[in-house]
Amino acid sequence: MMLRVRFHGRGGQGAKTASRILGDAAFNDGYYSQDFPIYGAERRGAPVAAFTRFSDGEITERGFIFSPDIVGVMDDSLIDDPLANPFAGLRKGGCAVVNTTKRSDALLADRKDATIIAVDLTGMALKMLGKAVLSSGIAAAVARVAGIGESQFLAAVAEELREVGLSEEMVRKNVELAMAVYGQLAPLELRTEELPTKLELVPLAVVVSGEGMEDVTRTGNSAVRHTGNWRTFKPVIDYEKCTDCMICYAYCPESAMSVREDGRVAIDYDNCKGCMICLTECPLRAISQTMEGGTR
Amino acid sequence: MPTEGDLADDGGGHAVKGKLLTGNAAAASAARLARVDYIPAYPITPQTEIIETIADWVREGTMDAKFVQLESEHSMMTAAGTASLAGARVFTATSSQGLLYAMEMLYNVSGWRAPMVLVNVSRALAAPIVLEPDHNDVLAARDSGFIQLHSETCQEVADMVLLAYRVAEDSRVMLPAIVNLDGFYLSFTRERVVLPDQKGVDSFLPPYQPPHPLRASQPVAKGTAVMEGFVYSYFKYNMHAAAVRAKKVFSEAARDYKELFGRDYGPVEGYRLDDAEYVIVMSNSFTTLGRQAVNRMRERGVPAGLLKLRMVRPFPTEEVVALLKGRKAAAVFDQNLSPGSGGILFPEVAASMYHVRDRPQTILPVVGGLGGKQLTSDEMTSIFEEMIAVNSGSKPLAPMFLMRSEEMAKVKRAVALAEGGS
Repeated sequence: MMLRVRFHGRGGQGAKTASRILGDAAFNDGYYSQDFPIYGAERRGAPVAAFTRFSDGEITERGFIFSPDIVGVMDDSLIDDPLANPFAGLRKGGCAVVNTTKRSDALLADRKDATIIAVDLTGMALKMLGKAVLSSGIAAAVARVAGIGESQFLAAVAEELREVGLSEEMVRKNVELAMAVYGQLAPLELRTEELPTKLELVPLAVVVSGEGMEDVTRTGNSAVRHTGNWRTFKPVIDYEKCTDCMICYAYCPESAMSVREDGRVAIDYDNCKGCMICLTECPLRAISQTMEGGTR
Repeated sequence: MPTEGDLADDGGGHAVKGKLLTGNAAAASAARLARVDYIPAYPITPQTEIIETIADWVREGTMDAKFVQLESEHSMMTAAGTASLAGARVFTATSSQGLLYAMEMLYNVSGWRAPMVLVNVSRALAAPIVLEPDHNDVLAARDSGFIQLHSETCQEVADMVLLAYRVAEDSRVMLPAIVNLDGFYLSFTRERVVLPDQKGVDSFLPPYQPPHPLRASQPVAKGTAVMEGFVYSYFKYNMHAAAVRAKKVFSEAARDYKELFGRDYGPVEGYRLDDAEYVIVMSNSFTTLGRQAVNRMRERGVPAGLLKLRMVRPFPTEEVVALLKGRKAAAVFDQNLSPGSGGILFPEVAASMYHVRDRPQTILPVVGGLGGKQLTSDEMTSIFEEMIAVNSGSKPLAPMFLMRSEEMAKVKRAVALAEGGS
């Protein structure tokens, strides 16, 4: 029996640590185990994936998991992100654990063959840790669903979080959070089946049919690449307090501050990445932050 | 140093006197004839003479180009590639450690599809340190996406530089090119060179017209971060296809070149191959020694021949197959060494022949001439003797690593001296 788990999160949310906690937990529980993260330019907010395989026999695969038994989705704004595509390849009879405040039947309505579990991990993390770090919470949800023993799992949480340098107090709080999530859920008897796929290889002559020198000559195209969905927190201007001093405009590293026709400063939410430099710099504290709509 | 007056014209193929030029002077002269716009440079022995010559010409006004000395070969290649993207015809030169220092940028410049020409004057790589040539430097760039043309003579140096621009700038190719010549054995060797006339070169090599040059008012992005393996694969496969096309483009250009200047170049060159049963495969300046060995074997009645690799990238597989099939035995002379494997070109030649039904029964790997180690004519003919002995079954096949007994005695004396003996 092998279980393949794929975590989807955003840089900074703890997807990689979650995959390591689960890897350790399964290892502690006597399984063969393997974990692996994949990410681009280590950018906070960018889609990240991480993988854990565990098995009672030797693991003879490696790398990206195309057909997961379980997916852990740490940020529900990723569901509609075509690059992240978190449910892709989820096996028949598989399970998706989603960090969300939405109802589970509002997610993945077209996959009646999979179990969808909705948990408000961000809410629990904010309450118990004081910040939206989700590694122990998502790992706990997946470990419970996968049937990993509690003591082995909690030992893995402490071990991994000490390794990344968390204080003993934060380790303790995370273990408490993990216990709370673990206790909320029940193990699933997973009998999964891979979705059918059809391989079509493209011959080299088709790949190279042009000259393959794609110079990009269209100007202004970076505006097309919306980066607003990288945000975990969203800056909000209180127009009662704002005097349009334009300090935020000057500091914004993404040119995501603009001036409206009425002369008021405004945030371009399509491209604001949620770095909160504007909030830090605003001399009148006229900018506050709210949790992004996706996860809260 | 040649002057304008020496640029002899062979016009309709009439005999011309030519001029004694070093390989370095031939390279510089060809760059001037190609009307290059920009030469970013950095000195290194044995290449320095090329850029010194060009710097002098630019200073005295006999070459209309911008010459800049950068602070390293890495910067030099970066400047070369970006200037080429801006639409300049770019020339530069380096050797050995300099090429390796620029290596990171070689892959970028080819990925940008910037068709500049780099002359590499081969020098063995440290350590230990030596200034004379072998081909580990240029073959380290084997997989970079640069077209590679290797020269046997000073004449070829000049001709390959001009052909390299024509091939690199062809819209079907758009890849940079390296022209290789051996340090000392060509770089500082003077021999007769007939330089093509400027008018002929101008018709052979019209001004470079890039499809989307970098212009301040017309932004264009090249070689952007793609961040996905499949997009990367798409661009790399296309570079491969362009490099493969470069062989055909080279042959077309060589036809024009022959018509204009009378000299005929293919991706490979055969020497006394018609009835040859034993063939040595080699490249660069020591090929001349190989020809001499062929002649000596012929005098002894042995049907010997030689196959010279002029084009190393793209690898001329079809030509190698056509000229080696049906022979009794071949030897691949590698003036380079991949420690733990052997010569670098041997596996390429052997792989080309593997699926050929009537391939040579023996393909003998030979390593020699490392660090410019000299080769006597007996040493060269010993390669044929070994080929014959292995092929007849009187000796088992084992790679040859050339070293003469008197050289070994000198090594031992030097080691003893270094250790405090006498």
